[in-house]
Formats: sequence, structure tokens, C-alpha cells
Amino acid sequence: MRLAGRFGLLVLALAFAENLFAADITSDFSAANKLYAEGKFPAAAASYEQILKTGAASPALLFNYGNAEFKSGHLGRAIAAYRHAELLAPRDAEIRANLQFVGNQVQGVTLRESRWQNWLGVLTLNEGAILTAVLFWLTLALFIARQIRPALVPKLRNATWIFLALTVFSASVLALQAANHFSKASAVVVADNVTARSGPFDEAQSAFTARDGAELSVLDRRDDWVQVVDGAGKIAWLPVKQVEILPGA
Amino acid sequence: MLPKLKILVVLLVVVLLHVAGFAASFSASLDRDTVTLGENATLSLKFEGVQPADAPNLPAVAGLQFQYVGPSSSFSFINGQTSSSITYNYVVAAQRSGEFVIPGMRVSVNGQQFASTPLTFSVQNVAAPSAAAVNSGSEIAFLKLTLPQKKIYSGQTIIGQVDLYLRDEVQNYGNFQFTSMPAEGFQIGKMAQSANRTTQVGNRRYTVVPISVALTAVKAGALTLGPITASAVVVLPQQNQGNDPFSAFFNRGEQRQVTLTTEELQAQAMSLPSENVPPDFNGIIGNFSLAVSAGPTNLTVGDPVTVRVQITGRGALDSIALPAQNSWSNFKAFPPTAKVETHDQFGLQGTKTFEQIVSPQNSDVRELPPFTFSFFNPDDGKYHTLTQPATPLTVRSAGATVLPTIAGNQNANPESPASPKDILPIKENLGALTHAGVPLVAAPRFLVVQSLPVLAFFAAFIWRKRTDSLANNPRLRRQRAVAQLVREGLNDLHKFAAANQPDEFFATLFRLLQEQLGERLDCPATAITENVIEDHPVLRGAPKATLDGLRELFQLCNQARYAPVRGSAELNSVAAQFEKTVGEVQEVKA
Repeated sequence: MRLAGRFGLLVLALAFAENLFAADITSDFSAANKLYAEGKFPAAAASYEQILKTGAASPALLFNYGNAEFKSGHLGRAIAAYRHAELLAPRDAEIRANLQFVGNQVQGVTLRESRWQNWLGVLTLNEGAILTAVLFWLTLALFIARQIRPALVPKLRNATWIFLALTVFSASVLALQAANHFSKASAVVVADNVTARSGPFDEAQSAFTARDGAELSVLDRRDDWVQVVDGAGKIAWLPVKQVEILPGA
Repeated sequence: MLPKLKILVVLLVVVLLHVAGFAASFSASLDRDTVTLGENATLSLKFEGVQPADAPNLPAVAGLQFQYVGPSSSFSFINGQTSSSITYNYVVAAQRSGEFVIPGMRVSVNGQQFASTPLTFSVQNVAAPSAAAVNSGSEIAFLKLTLPQKKIYSGQTIIGQVDLYLRDEVQNYGNFQFTSMPAEGFQIGKMAQSANRTTQVGNRRYTVVPISVALTAVKAGALTLGPITASAVVVLPQQNQGNDPFSAFFNRGEQRQVTLTTEELQAQAMSLPSENVPPDFNGIIGNFSLAVSAGPTNLTVGDPVTVRVQITGRGALDSIALPAQNSWSNFKAFPPTAKVETHDQFGLQGTKTFEQIVSPQNSDVRELPPFTFSFFNPDDGKYHTLTQPATPLTVRSAGATVLPTIAGNQNANPESPASPKDILPIKENLGALTHAGVPLVAAPRFLVVQSLPVLAFFAAFIWRKRTDSLANNPRLRRQRAVAQLVREGLNDLHKFAAANQPDEFFATLFRLLQEQLGERLDCPATAITENVIEDHPVLRGAPKATLDGLRELFQLCNQARYAPVRGSAELNSVAAQFEKTVGEVQEVKA
């Protein structure tokens, strides 16, 4: 009983501390919003970043951070923030709109998704997984019904084949989505006029200049350098500190 | 055999001695050691008795250019002496006159070291033809260099003219190339050839091939251009071949290499005036006009304003940079983009368009300040400053109003939505704190859950197979039904025994014996009597104890009709015996 009582107290204390933490973050978030409204964008960006450093994250926090960075003239950091926010809330139209707007401001060559990648992106990976799972369950339910009630087989024949075809199609699309997600690592340039080099060292020959906000595909990583390919297909190395590696698409 | 073999060995030794006696060597030579500027010589590197893997690399000689043209090889067999050689040939072109030394070369071939001796090479200046020679028409071809003006400003670009004159008898010309173009204080830019014309020089007519070249003065002071040298191959009519009627028909002309040289021209470059220099002047020389536009003008703090600057005119457009606007301190300026559209061959006439995005940093901004652009016009020798007036702006605080959004204009054509003017405003509510988890397709729990319908399907499949199997096997179906019947009957027997109801007990016992034996012997239960124990072939292989047990049970059933009084204990004992015997009967192979 005594042990149970202590455990109960610990749970209560943890819950209380969590509430206090959330209250602090909400307060900091409001303060950062105020700075933004006053037009003090760099200060607002720093405040949002401070909150993010505590480990807290929400789509709204990342979205506002992206806005503040954009207004501060940091296109790359803004794009990275929106990309992170998009992961948490893939269907958020505001995040998508701002990401598109800021992406259009990026000068020079940047990575553009191909038509089939755009098509795959109609559904998020999780949405695709749930849709495929639902179709898979329904298809197997029909197969099970055919086993339990053979008399229903003629009636269920068309429905079974239709659901089977839908499941195969959905699973194929999901496989492509997953391959795209897990094989594609990308990075966004977070400094202006970054010199991409032909090798992973400072003395290597300059290959091209990447502009702030340019999105690049990551091919390899070595020490403090990352090998990228830009939208024009040029391959070069960039210092890691001048890019932000983005999570999978 | 032995004498013949000796002869062969001797011959082989002789051949080997011949080959070994021929020493490998390497030498370098020039086809001529003195040329005039514009003429080329040929350098040959000859290897005898040995062949390198590739053409040797030549040492760099200032003022000379080497161009590899290919190898030539020879093989000879004279008086039993064989020799082979390969020669690598290079064209030597001089960029200036003077005495040159091509240093000796060291080459390693198959581990052997070879060295050549140094070569001297003299390049003499070619004097431009005199005015008298030109006017007399004695020159088949000559070059003439002219400058539009002799006094220019440092940084100014002018168009120089190099005209190639070809006497009227020249049928054609080719391989024209400038061999040297010395320019002290000039930077040579693009060159362009204009349409040919004809002119009278002295008493001969000449075809003039005008070549224009952009020249930019890169320093103040005395400038020198030329002598420019060039070479060409001209085609002249061949001399009359006597009375041969076909000579005129087949006369393809005589080709002659000519070396051409211009006079050296002097010019003077003046420094730009030091008075009245506009503060924002950044070295642009030419004559330009300016057009500036900006939009949108109604915006929020931080919104982008696109400023479009068009500089049109004549000058070094490529080198024009967007002038910094010191009065734009309230704006954050993003790097501009630039595009040049030229209308002439030298890239001097046209329009350079800059697009720069600036964003107001506070709501106190009321206008985009005037845009100024200064340049020096060499035509009038004065500085000019072009100014575009300020562009009024309406700038709101970022949090003061609802920002313009992508949100739809209901009247807008959905096929062509208007481009958004700004990002959407910040969110007021923090929302639930969360983190991006592993995608479902990689989550083990999600994948395990997907196995459930598969397992359910296999369970249904197995059940269906067993059901179908039972439906198609009456004996198995009867076996299971009888087993079930016996299990239930045993319960009834225990109940009847407990209730001391011998009649019901033995009636049930007899029926169960019939059902069980009927199933084993595959015959109707009603046809089962005690006699089948002796008669039926299936039971002949059964253990004797089983058969005895069956007999005893049948006899007990028969006795019960005549001596019905039994106790519960005895009935329970019979039930136990029945259970044991039935178990043994079920083991009997049907």
C-alpha cells in the first residue's frame, strides 16, 4: 500500500510538471507571436527556436517559426521549418501554401519534384498505408466470407475481384511512396551563396553556387560534408553546417 | 639435319646482330629556324629504333605555341640493314617577334633515357607595306587598322576596325587567322565581320573584308595597338598553260600563303574627370536611360516588393551592377537577378534588367525612396545621374490586420488562381505538442495488425477444408456422431446408476453398444446382436479381452430383463466396464 501510494504521488507530480511545462511553452509561444506582430521578426524567430530547443514541437510552432524566418530573410530556414511542420500535419493547407510561396522566392536552381512524385504526394505515406490496410482487410473479409458461406461465392465474385485489384493497386502505390520516402534524403541550403565543391574539403574546386533556400538531394555524407545533387543534376559537396538535412518526403 | 640447323642458327644470330647493332636515337629539329611573325614552323621529334607510347610533351616557351599535328613513321631495309623511325610533328606559332630557344628535351622510352639538343628559333617582324606600295597596287593583300578616335577615356569601349584588303585578281581566300594582336592598355573584346565591299586603292580595285573589334581602355595614359599580324591563303589565277585548251577549264587557281601586318597605332586614354563625381558613381561609362517600377505598393511589414530596374543604352552592359541605394535602409534587400538583352554584335547596345525583392522592415515606411543611377558619358565628357522618383507605399503592421491570403476570391477563375502576394499569417494557438513518429509502414505494431486478417483467412480456409472433408466421408461423420453419442450416453448411464434405474440403464447401455459396434462394423445399429462378436470378420482381429468384455456386457443386458434388481454401485461398475470396453472397440480397425 505504501509503495502504491508513493507511485501515485509520482504520477501526480509528473502530471503536474507536464502541465507546468506546457503552460510555460504556451506563454513563450504567445510572447513570440507578439514579437512577430510587432514586426520584430528576427527576435520572434529566436523565441520560436528557443521553444523548439526544449524538445516541444507542434505544427503551429514550426509554422510560425517558418514565417518568422522568412520575414527575417532566411528562406532556407523557413523552408526547413515548414517541411518539419508538414511532417506533423501533412494536410495543413496553410503550411503547404506558405511552403509553396517561400519556395517560389528561392533564386537559382532548386530541386523540383517530378510529376510522378507530385502524383504520389496526393496522399501522405500514412494515409496511403491506412487506405491500403482498409482495402486489404475488406478483401480478406470477402475471402473469409467465401470460405464460411460457399453459397455466397457467386454473389461475391465481382466484389472480391474489384477489391483485390484495388488492394494490389493501392499496395503498389504505397510501395512507390515508401521507396520514395526512405530512399530520398534532401537538404535545404540555409546560408546565402554557398559554394558547392567538387570534393569534401575546403580547397576543392568550386562546382556551383547554391542559393539560400535551394533544396538538394542528399547522396552521401562524409564527416562535416554532405554530397548533394541540385535540380540541374550537378553533384557537389557542401559543408553540413550550411545546410539543414530534411526528413524524408 | 644437323648442317641445316647450324645454318639456321647462324642466320638468326646474324639478324639479331643487325638489329642489336642498330642503336636507338632521339632528335629534335625545325624545318626552318627563321620565320617572319605570322608564319609557322614545324618541329619534328624523331625516334629511331624505338617507339614511345605517346607523343612527348613539349616544354613551355614564352611567346611560342606548339600544336601537335600527328606522327609519321618509316621503315627501311637496305643491304640487309633494317631501320624504323617515328616522327612526332608540331606546328610552332610565334606570338611575338624575337629570338627563342626551344630547350633540349629528355625522354624515357622503355627505361632508356634520350635527350635532344636545344634549338634556336628566330621570329622576325614583318613590316607593314608602305603607303607607296599600297597605292601602287603591288600588294596582293594587306591589312589596315583604324581607330574611330585617338583620345578616349579610361574604361571607355570603342570599336576598332581591322580591314583585310584583297586585290581584285584574288579569286578566293581562306584560313584567315590573326596570329598576334598586341595591345598595350587595351582589352580586346568581341570581334565581328561585316559585309564585304569594294574600293579603289591607287589604280587597282580591292575587296575589303571589314572586321570590327571591341577595344576597352583599361588604363589611363598612352595606349598602343598593333602591329596586328594575320595569315591567310589566297587563291590567284594560274599562269597560262600554253595552248592547252583544257587549262582554262581546269584552272583551279594557285594557292599562296600570305602574311599580313598592320601599322602600330597610338592612342591616348584620359582619366575620368575628378570634379562633379556623383557619390553613387561606380565606374559605368556609356550613355544610358533608366526605368524603374515597383509593386505591390499596398503591403504588410515584411512583405516582398519587386523592384524592376531597366538600364538601356550603349556601354559595357555586362559590367553594370545594380547600384546600392543607401536611402533604402528601412528595407531588407534580397540579391537581385539580372538579365542582359543586347542588340549589337559586341554586346554594347541593349538593355540590362534587374529584379530585386525588397521588404519594408517597419510600418513607418511610406515610400520606396528615389532610385539613382550615375554614369559617365564619354561623348560629352560629363557625369550624369538619372533619378526615378520615390514610389509611395502603404505599409501595415504585420499583426494589425488580417494578412492577404491565398484564400479564395470567390469571383476568381478556379482554373487560374491569382498568385499569392505573401505568406499566410502566423497561428495564434500552439495546438497539441507532438512529434513526428515512424511512418506506419515501418511501425512493427501496424505490420503485426495486418497479419490478423491473413490468420483469420487461413483459419476459415482450414475450417472449410475440414468441413468439406467431413461432408464427403459418411463413415467419418458416423464415427464422430457415435463418439459424441457415447460421450453423452456415458453421462446418462451414470445418472441412471445414481438414480438406481436399472431398466433405463441397461436399455441405454444396449443401445450404445449397438451404435458403437454398428459404426465399427459399418452396419446398421439395429442389426447388432451378441452374435456379431463371433461372426463378424472385423472383430476377429480384436483382442480377446475386448471381445470378452463385449460378451459380458451383452449378457448383462440380457440378464437385466430377467433379474432387474441391481444396486447403484453395481450399475456404476458396469458403466465403468462399458467405458473401458468401448474405448478398446474404438481402437479396432474398421
